[in-house]
Amino acid sequence: MGKEYAAPGEYGLADLLCCAASREVGDNEVVFAGTGLPMVAIMLAQKTHAPSLKLIFEAGTLDGRPPEIPTSVGDARCEMGASRASGLYDAFSIAQRGYVDLGFLGGAEVDQYGNVNTTCIGDYLNPELRLTGSGGNPDINSFARRTVFIMVHEKRRFVKNVSYITSPGWRVKRWPEGDFVPRRSLYGAAYRGGPSAVISTAGVFRFDRESGRMYLDTCHPGKTPREIRELCQFDLDISRVAGETEPPTQEELHLIHEVLDPDQIFIPRVKQE
Amino acid sequence: MSSKRITLQQAAEIITDGASLTFSGFTIWRRPMAIVFELIRQRRRGLHLIEVNGGPQTEFLVGAGCVDIWESCWVGHELYGKYGANLSRRVGNGEIIVEDYSHAEMMFRFAAGAAGAPFAATQTSLGTDIHNPAYDMLGRAGLRDGNNSRIPRHKYRFVDDPFYGAGQQVLVPAAKVDVAVMCVQQVGEEGTVRVSGQYYSDPEAARTADITIVMAEEIVPEEYLRREADRNTIPSFEVDYVVECPFGAHPTGMFGRYDVDGAFLKDFYGRTRTQEGFDDFAKEWIHGLDHLGYLEKLGWPRMLKLKANTALNYSAREKKGE
Repeated sequence: MGKEYAAPGEYGLADLLCCAASREVGDNEVVFAGTGLPMVAIMLAQKTHAPSLKLIFEAGTLDGRPPEIPTSVGDARCEMGASRASGLYDAFSIAQRGYVDLGFLGGAEVDQYGNVNTTCIGDYLNPELRLTGSGGNPDINSFARRTVFIMVHEKRRFVKNVSYITSPGWRVKRWPEGDFVPRRSLYGAAYRGGPSAVISTAGVFRFDRESGRMYLDTCHPGKTPREIRELCQFDLDISRVAGETEPPTQEELHLIHEVLDPDQIFIPRVKQE
Repeated sequence: MSSKRITLQQAAEIITDGASLTFSGFTIWRRPMAIVFELIRQRRRGLHLIEVNGGPQTEFLVGAGCVDIWESCWVGHELYGKYGANLSRRVGNGEIIVEDYSHAEMMFRFAAGAAGAPFAATQTSLGTDIHNPAYDMLGRAGLRDGNNSRIPRHKYRFVDDPFYGAGQQVLVPAAKVDVAVMCVQQVGEEGTVRVSGQYYSDPEAARTADITIVMAEEIVPEEYLRREADRNTIPSFEVDYVVECPFGAHPTGMFGRYDVDGAFLKDFYGRTRTQEGFDDFAKEWIHGLDHLGYLEKLGWPRMLKLKANTALNYSAREKKGE
């Protein structure tokens, strides 16, 4: 069965992000879902190339198969068709035990090593803006083999140093000194992996295995590598660009808008004409 | 046997100024809002909230100036409000002490508290600013001197695994709370709790606390719950008081009973960015009302729209995200 790609103008940026995120999911993987666009992406993967993925909702639903999109991970909708509905102790124990392959996360700021901030903007002791706090971001990022971050791309968000490291990237702080060390050296036997991709509204970014530094993998249609580098405060590696981000297929768009999120809770429809 | 039944007003009176407190639920689900509103009416002060995660209950109490210390990992209204505007404002003004842990750390702190263990060991959040010693806010405030039995002497400690050589571990202190306030579907007169749907961190919260108050949609005969004990969530003797309060979780949602009132939360989030906005909102929805007055103000049409379909366990009428 050939893929029928949507033409530019038939899909929006949120569609593109959702499909790019969905393609990060492998079949049979155990995936940890947060609220929002990632939930749509994972359920899209479940309905396309990864029918046997196992979905865990942080609030305590294990191997969920919701028939419609939950509004948040505490939602009653999470539990329809699930293997077990329990609580957070189960969800986090399962993650710490090593069952989780992939987690989708978000962030307000990211640095070139994939350290992410969701806690505050400015000095923590005297913040310009206090945000939500960590939630499960550092936990999923510590326990899962791979994590994928979905972010709005603005220069103020892709920074040299995040205001507060909420969630650990590839070079992290060793306390009490606070010097940067490779993630693997700090995590020891608990090391399983780390951030594998950042999907922003400009492109898809990955991390060099050796240095842990972010590089640009694909540009979203209409964006150039130079433009995207200009949208980062750090020196983004654009020497390895593989091309353009794969657009959504007609089937994916149908599933997103007719089946998964018809009420446009997380993904707005593109206005035609 | 004396009755465990009390009123909403009595429940709030049990929570005294300066008490450490935790709640049932998860973000915008199954929060004991009717008791939270009563605490605000009674102008409780100096509360120390220790929560696995925060939500509207946090935002209301913080906005009303009831809270001095908040230990948790997250506050917001999910898709109905990006972050906790009241907490954010009070942190900015230096009016509240916030101690940040990760979500799993908070969960494991309650699991340790519930097991009567002094701490839990975990491998989460290594290398983050959660473990930055300069960001130990209770320490900075001089409150880790051992004088407050609810505040541990350290925020966390590192140890090397002495048993299997698995490297660095984080020890996080057990949560110690005076009162857990729960909001559930059913409780028996003797205190047996049956939660339907995800039970979040409720069993650990109830077991950790010295006093557990359960507010339920309905008080049911114990004998009914004891016919199928394997379906019950919290044993009778862990519960000290029970309160019957239909729609007590509103505007948060309850599995099988009613959905989250997203419009209410959006309105709250939008209007309470400033203290004046909060005070105005509290005047409209809290002060001068009791629970029945609050429900009357909401009105039948709104409640019926939120009411869950009993086969689906969520409302088929409420348009999601609105």
